[in-house]
Amino acid sequence: MRKYILLLVLLGLLLCGCTQSVQDTNKAFKQVSGNISGNEGQSKKVVLKVFHAGSLTEPMKALKKVFEKSYPNVEVQCEAAGSAKTIRKVTELHRNADVIASADYSLISKMMYPEYADWTIKFARNQIVLAYTDKSKYADEMSSANWYQILRRPDVKFGFSNPNDDPCGYRSQMVLQLAELYYNDSTIYDDLVAKHSNLKFVEENGTYVLRMPNSENINPDTNKLMIRSMEMELISGLETEEIDYFFIYRSVAQQHHFRFVELPPQIDLSSPEYTSIYKKVKVVQANGKEIVGKPIVYGITIPKNANYKEYAEKFVGLVIGKEGQEIFEKLGQPPLIPPKVDNINKLPKSLKRYFNP
Amino acid sequence: MRPTFSLVLAALSALIVLFILLPVVVTISTQFYNPGFIQAMEDRAVWSSILLTYYAALLSTLIAIVFGTPLSYILSRYSFLGRSIVEGVVDIPVVIPHTAAGIALLAVFGSNGLIGSFSPFKFVDALPGIVVAMLFVSVPIYLNAAREGFASIDLRLEQVARTLGASQWRVFFTISLPLAARHIAAGALMAWARAISEFGAIVVIAYYPMIAPTLIYERYISAGLSAAGPVTAILILLSLAVFVAIRILLWGENVSRSER
Repeated sequence: MRKYILLLVLLGLLLCGCTQSVQDTNKAFKQVSGNISGNEGQSKKVVLKVFHAGSLTEPMKALKKVFEKSYPNVEVQCEAAGSAKTIRKVTELHRNADVIASADYSLISKMMYPEYADWTIKFARNQIVLAYTDKSKYADEMSSANWYQILRRPDVKFGFSNPNDDPCGYRSQMVLQLAELYYNDSTIYDDLVAKHSNLKFVEENGTYVLRMPNSENINPDTNKLMIRSMEMELISGLETEEIDYFFIYRSVAQQHHFRFVELPPQIDLSSPEYTSIYKKVKVVQANGKEIVGKPIVYGITIPKNANYKEYAEKFVGLVIGKEGQEIFEKLGQPPLIPPKVDNINKLPKSLKRYFNP
Repeated sequence: MRPTFSLVLAALSALIVLFILLPVVVTISTQFYNPGFIQAMEDRAVWSSILLTYYAALLSTLIAIVFGTPLSYILSRYSFLGRSIVEGVVDIPVVIPHTAAGIALLAVFGSNGLIGSFSPFKFVDALPGIVVAMLFVSVPIYLNAAREGFASIDLRLEQVARTLGASQWRVFFTISLPLAARHIAAGALMAWARAISEFGAIVVIAYYPMIAPTLIYERYISAGLSAAGPVTAILILLSLAVFVAIRILLWGENVSRSER
């Protein structure tokens, strides 16, 4: 027995020594495999990897179907996660994605430029609504005029996703703070969130700033608030009546057949015309990233380490083309018409035709 | 043993050991150069989440011992109608995906669930929720180990004790239980370890208070690998230390030899 233990320890030491060289080998291997997949044939089975924001799950499913019909040799594999995590899968875990779609277009430039990508197409919009079901408390009283009064009632429980992890999370905080300005009632955020957690907006030179504590220090009163990492995880909370209401994208609420109240456009982050109002709120995440309030616009890109660039371009073309726009429209998410791109000179040739001046 | 035979054995074994060790060693060794490691060591949130994880796992293991020991005894001693069904039921948590297990638990222990609606405990986003999720995923490990333990006892020992006039209670507590103690302890330790490692089921029912796996996930999402790595390394090192310490305490050094 002792001999074996000794052997194991030796083995362990050996491993510590060669960790570095293992990583080098990995890199070399990746390069080789990248080269091989670069010149793939038409008939070969292709797995196109699409990493996307959780709120794009339904449209992506529909797009996958259409795409696979036009290209039978391609299997589209969709992976949903929070937008930041989606990007980290490429930038930190070094996984190869062919397409990246984020619920906040600016995350792509902030987290991926210049090493992993150098262009972003803005392709769809969305708006924050308050979703509920027939079984939610006071569901029959709920309206876009009194929603914040109902959330204030002590027996009402509501949810939002973690502002550190998820765009829908920090956007929900912005909506609540903008509500204070819009309704001219400076206690809305305090009554609904600040009193029940460590989250608080502070006024700094005319803008309202929420400095996020680390996630473990948010410390929500779980009798009033339900927080989850990603907005999609709150769906089960509403379905099991754990919460009565939650902040979510309009498209998701519609796709899941929830009832929802639309909030005034001055606060729901839907309209480019209110950009100057949205700008008054800001969230600083625990990792230091600052997000200023702005209309919700989704972004899509093809990472530089994509395995199948050619098909990825075709997929992006489908998303921003007419057929894709119809799919988004049908699923309750307004497409951006026409789509916009930041660095048109970096854009692959085949996609340039969507951006004719 | 023929030399080629032992060579093949050794080669294959080394590969599988490598497979397990490599990710662990890589995770830990990269922390030697990471300044974030010291920072994480000094971070109270890290320690309180690890402590909470150990504590919840301990509660779950104790519940498994109290309620699971009788069942594993029954399964090893008696044959009855539907026994194979019960044996199958015991293994269900092993095959259910963790997220699905969490959703199922939420349906039962949620505020409007079958049990949650009248229970005095609040399960969602609270310690009891963490414990039930840990219990659900780890109890099969305990049950199977304890059943093995009871099954390994020579039945004649129990029968002799009975013919000498000992009651069923006395036989159970003075003969069966001590003889199976080693298996039971091993099962409890493995169940505890399994509970510590659970994430998928717990995060559905209780995102807060944050256990260590949730904290690691959080750090990874909001600050990236460089922030999640140190916490991971601390959890691995500490758990390994506890694991080895308990094994040495319970079994001494030469486990396999003394058992044979």
